[in-house]
Amino acid sequence: MVTDPALTVDLAIILLSAAALGFVARQTGQPTIIAYLVAGVVIGPVVFGIVEVTELTETLSELGLAFLLFLLGIKMRIGEIKHIISPIVKISIPQMAAVAAVGFGVSYVLLDGSITQALLIGLAVMYSSTAVVIKMLTDKGEATDLHGKIDVGILLVQDIVVVILLAILAAGQPESVAEVATTLAIVLTLVTIITVIALASSRYALPTVFRQIADNETIFFLVAIAWAFLFIFVSQEIDLFLSPFGIEAYLSIEMGAFLAGVAIAQLPYSKQLQDRVNPLTDLFVMVFFASVALDIRAHELTYYWREAIIAAVVLMIAKFIIFFVLINWQGFDLETNFLGSLYMIQVSEFGIVVGVAAQQGGFIEVEVLGFLTLVAMLTMAISVYLIAFADRLFDRLEGPLSRFEPEEPFAEDGKDYAGHVVAVGYDDVTRNVLPLFSEYYDDVVVVDRRVDHIEALEANGFDAVYGDIGSETIRKDVALKKADFVLSSSDQLEVSKAILREVRDDATVFLEASTDEGARELYDRGADYVITSADLSADRLGSYLEAYLEGRPELDRAITSDVELLRNPDPFPNTHERMTGDLDD
Amino acid sequence: MSELLTTVAILFIIAGPFLLLADRFDLPAVPLLILSGIFAGTVFIQQDDLLVELAQYGIALLVFAFGVGIQLDAIRTVLADSEIAALGQILVIGSLGTAFGVALGVPLAEASVLGVAAALSSTMVGTALVRTEIRMNLVRGRLSESLHFVQDLFAIAVVLIVGAGVIAADPIATQLGYGVVLLAAAVAVNRYLFGLLGRLADGSDELMIVGVVSLLVVFIGVAELAGVSIVVGAFAAGIAVRHDRGEHLGLFTGLESIKDFFLAIFFVTVGALVAVPFLETGPAASVEKLLLATGLIVLVVLIKPAVTIAILMYKGYEARTATLTAITTDQVSEFSLIIAIEAFLIGILTQSVFDAIIFAAAVTMVISSLTQRHDEAIYRLLSSRGLVSTRHDKIDELSNVPDDITDHVVIVGYGRTGSHLVETCKTLEKPYVVIENDPTRREAVRVECDAYVFGDAMEEYTWEKAGVERADIVISTTPSDPVSWRLLAFEFEADLILRSPTQQTALELLEAGATYVVVSDLLAGEQLLRRIEALLEGESTAEQLRDERLEELDRRSVTENR
Repeated sequence: MVTDPALTVDLAIILLSAAALGFVARQTGQPTIIAYLVAGVVIGPVVFGIVEVTELTETLSELGLAFLLFLLGIKMRIGEIKHIISPIVKISIPQMAAVAAVGFGVSYVLLDGSITQALLIGLAVMYSSTAVVIKMLTDKGEATDLHGKIDVGILLVQDIVVVILLAILAAGQPESVAEVATTLAIVLTLVTIITVIALASSRYALPTVFRQIADNETIFFLVAIAWAFLFIFVSQEIDLFLSPFGIEAYLSIEMGAFLAGVAIAQLPYSKQLQDRVNPLTDLFVMVFFASVALDIRAHELTYYWREAIIAAVVLMIAKFIIFFVLINWQGFDLETNFLGSLYMIQVSEFGIVVGVAAQQGGFIEVEVLGFLTLVAMLTMAISVYLIAFADRLFDRLEGPLSRFEPEEPFAEDGKDYAGHVVAVGYDDVTRNVLPLFSEYYDDVVVVDRRVDHIEALEANGFDAVYGDIGSETIRKDVALKKADFVLSSSDQLEVSKAILREVRDDATVFLEASTDEGARELYDRGADYVITSADLSADRLGSYLEAYLEGRPELDRAITSDVELLRNPDPFPNTHERMTGDLDD
Repeated sequence: MSELLTTVAILFIIAGPFLLLADRFDLPAVPLLILSGIFAGTVFIQQDDLLVELAQYGIALLVFAFGVGIQLDAIRTVLADSEIAALGQILVIGSLGTAFGVALGVPLAEASVLGVAAALSSTMVGTALVRTEIRMNLVRGRLSESLHFVQDLFAIAVVLIVGAGVIAADPIATQLGYGVVLLAAAVAVNRYLFGLLGRLADGSDELMIVGVVSLLVVFIGVAELAGVSIVVGAFAAGIAVRHDRGEHLGLFTGLESIKDFFLAIFFVTVGALVAVPFLETGPAASVEKLLLATGLIVLVVLIKPAVTIAILMYKGYEARTATLTAITTDQVSEFSLIIAIEAFLIGILTQSVFDAIIFAAAVTMVISSLTQRHDEAIYRLLSSRGLVSTRHDKIDELSNVPDDITDHVVIVGYGRTGSHLVETCKTLEKPYVVIENDPTRREAVRVECDAYVFGDAMEEYTWEKAGVERADIVISTTPSDPVSWRLLAFEFEADLILRSPTQQTALELLEAGATYVVVSDLLAGEQLLRRIEALLEGESTAEQLRDERLEELDRRSVTENR
């Protein structure tokens, strides 16, 4: 029986200190991850020792990791990165091998430990930080630039490797090489099976299910979460299913979450989901990062501090050179190469995750985990500054580096919007205007929240994006910042304001408001034209009544033409030529 | 993987199919989540303290979101409008529920929780179903929204008292004092600290979310220290971050996700706490439980709407509005679930009464979505049996139509469009009759219109009163489809102009014989097309359009203030 409905204090302290340091970090330009890690250091045994790991915080941090991978999975749309998959794989595999080798060498020389330990450190430092790179890319608005796509792609390949490595580590200390090989084989088989199941369901089962519920936002979100948990549960409890057959196997929560995400990513509704899962991920991941240091004591974190500094410097330089050589080998232009390489020089948070798993599996000592944590924190902090000033650095170094410019740079055929039209909402208000726009603009993108509308739009050759313009991912996706003309039929004031805040100053913006006050506010914020459709019907009814009372024949004509318009079954009527002059003029 | 995570995973996996069912049959998610919890509780999940703790975050976030959503000017309108109706209804049904409990031998403290459960209705289920009506600003949409709102405020007060009664030895007055201090602190934080938070976050949604959730945790912590229920702390925290949604859209949609996640855990956990009759409890206890639940359901589904109708009609709303509004209250509130679980956890409530409340909640929420779907039919049924009807002499008393009026215009609704049409008639010296049923507009109609009927456009007598058989034309300004269809069914001699929200129904209405149907969106689309065309062809500039429209806005506000 539960007697005390009180909530734990530990979680409150974690939240508060992380938030406080988060704000400080934001103001000083540090990534928030650093703040969370430091918060854990401060409240954990390293400094004050006021918080310990509890089951609740442990669960939330596990959820954080699971959600981070789920989110990553949702972003993995095969269609969008298909054209650079080949170069990315060719870059990432040798890159990881090379960086792992450097990491192995550095740690073997610096730390007095076994070969296994050095090997694991090598394996832990070969990834770049998804959190840092993706955060910086989106902050700088470069996620869809070529170097952004390359980095994201490489990060995804690295993440797959992390997941496999974590699965192997979860099996614990192996007794022989044969055992490692068996584990690897079982893991790879299971991963393959689950991948096949995920992709098969994404092709055959999920479209029907999710199409049905896509218009119901809450249910859509909760069912997606349930889907993720299904995979998490199966991956985690795989032993339960396999032990009757005498097979002993482990898979990670992360693996399951990631594949559940990938299955959903291939659906057209996945974009919307990203924004729903993101906040939960942010919150739980915070608990995760803050908990990292809760198990580490001060002397463990700083035990190898000199070695950590040396390793951080060596690794950053090595990573840059390795990336630069490999990206250059794949024929990308100099700027893409420079930026793409510079962004990836830090050690990933997954390095810490691998470290934690390795320490729990008994492969490395807790001081070595401290060393890894310190290296990751140092490289992340430094790389954030380098990324922030990457453009200026490139200007300085362009001359000396220009001999690395390939003769025929990799050409991108992907489509990036600029100077286009964004129409929000496909309804009676916007519908008639779309054909007119396509006469004047090359690209017209429509954002809508109904599946059948998206299908109708795409069938008629328009670019349609499923989602809510209130969501940041969607606004980025349709490149609202670069749009020339924005037309929205949403009468939600907050959505209109969000649009106005983001558009270019010289873009033309047509919005809708339900009240005069709303309209005025939007004009104040820079809208070019605000429709208030309720007033329009008032005016129209007024003029009809007037005509009716005066017995004017125009009334019948106007009614006939309006009715004709109403009856027009064509979803994209070419009526803008006919719709001129009537009682309103 | 921690045990708790396994539990949460199972919980969601079980909830998934139930949610699909909810979507398939167009039911609210809440009762299905509770049902999945009852199922899970019987089959899989063991009682788990930590799970209950997670569920508490669900409660906190729900109340928090309620606090965030409160609009102060909305409170003011409500106070002028329906607080008496809401409080009267709470009082009557609350007493009936308590009496029912006592009659079945439940101790008074428990019986009063039963009473509260019967009295409060669910905002999530009740008003979600009338979203369209609220958006169209129909009387009943507004009315049911404010009824629910007053009930929710009342629920917060009850939680405060439930907490005060047991947790601490302090008298209730001290508890209420702490509550007030907490709210004052919240207002201060809102005014001075929240802006700072926004500036410090510097556009980062992530930090805003983490910051606001910390704020929530601080308020909950303070509430706990003061011995007040965490619900009150969460409500205060909500007040503290109340803000223009547009400015922090990422924050508020983010909080929505976090709320949905924990709320799902809450509802399933509530269901899982139920001991299923005959399976998990003995026959005697099971019978008692079912009896309590049935009584509660009858109270909520039949008697509560009846009382609400009576009170609303006494307040001057006509029969149809009163009935349709009352139908939105025929379910148990999610706040009652909070009150029940809090009372259960601190031991005021025994398993039987707790179970009865949860059952009744799940059942009435499902019933509610069904009654909602057929509300017009229910009204017609009641009305044709003479069970609800506005007395003709009452309509006569409130209306003013010259007996000899003829060749006139009948205008349904005196909103912006309606008053515009009246102006037109006045200018052209054409006789007119306005039909209106919103009591808040009664005064304006009485002062500004020469002839008017105060009644429901759905009622035949209203039209008789308006002398429709001698009228030239009928113009309805309400974009409500039931009203439009009803007007067509009357088969007036006069021409009939209607409004419709969608092109599809507009067409159907035309087919059915309407002279003309106005679709605002289509008009907007047409106007837009002309403006955009002019712009693209370089016939006018954006600045011209802007100035033109601003002038128009100025002109209109001048006319309105006159």
